[in-house]
Amino acid sequence: MPDDHPFDFDTRVKVAVYRAIAQSGSTPSIEAVAAKIGAAPAAIKESYARLRANRLLLLEADGVTIRMAPPFSGVPTQHRVTVDGMEYYGNCAWDALGIPAAFHRPGVVHSRCEQSLEPLRLEVRVNGPEPSRWLFHCLVPAARWWDDLVFT
Amino acid sequence: MLFFRSEELILAWCKARGVTPRPIVRMDQLWHLAITWYGTRLEPISRRPAAEEMRGIFESIGLTEDFWDPRADPFK
Repeated sequence: MPDDHPFDFDTRVKVAVYRAIAQSGSTPSIEAVAAKIGAAPAAIKESYARLRANRLLLLEADGVTIRMAPPFSGVPTQHRVTVDGMEYYGNCAWDALGIPAAFHRPGVVHSRCEQSLEPLRLEVRVNGPEPSRWLFHCLVPAARWWDDLVFT
Repeated sequence: MLFFRSEELILAWCKARGVTPRPIVRMDQLWHLAITWYGTRLEPISRRPAAEEMRGIFESIGLTEDFWDPRADPFK
């Protein structure tokens, strides 16, 4: 059957996943994505595996539960971000800024200093964060980021 | 990938865990990385930077260490 959609199947799956998160703040079930795309859940699962290989999703061991759709986290984290009244979780400090960057909308990042546990509240405008002397530190070299992305 | 209030607190965090401190990134540098990685993520046509591009992106904001090179030997 000819594919009359302007984008390939994996791109449609990726867009469905990311738009569902953007609209709800939560990762969608595979059934919800399948219904949106009009495909069988088994086909979505195969697509998820390819999106994982392309580092656009990180899946739980079942291959159908989305742990990360960077910059969004599928589980609550210490990096909470609000954009247009919707609450999201970032996977890490980088992704916390990545959420307003993805929306091209102002947002507020709520996080903490990992050593002192002092709360961070950072206003992010469309063109970047407010002036801040807070810092970012990453323990894992870039060559190893995806070896264990949860640890990274 | 964590936030810290100051360099001293980063050093204290690393010392408490017996790990080597890594390059420190300012918030304006982090924003550049965030917009570069995720600025098109919600669009159909989006991509994350390829490995061969990443070093140049980091170097453009002053992050020149091998730490930021995805093709570098991380144990060097």
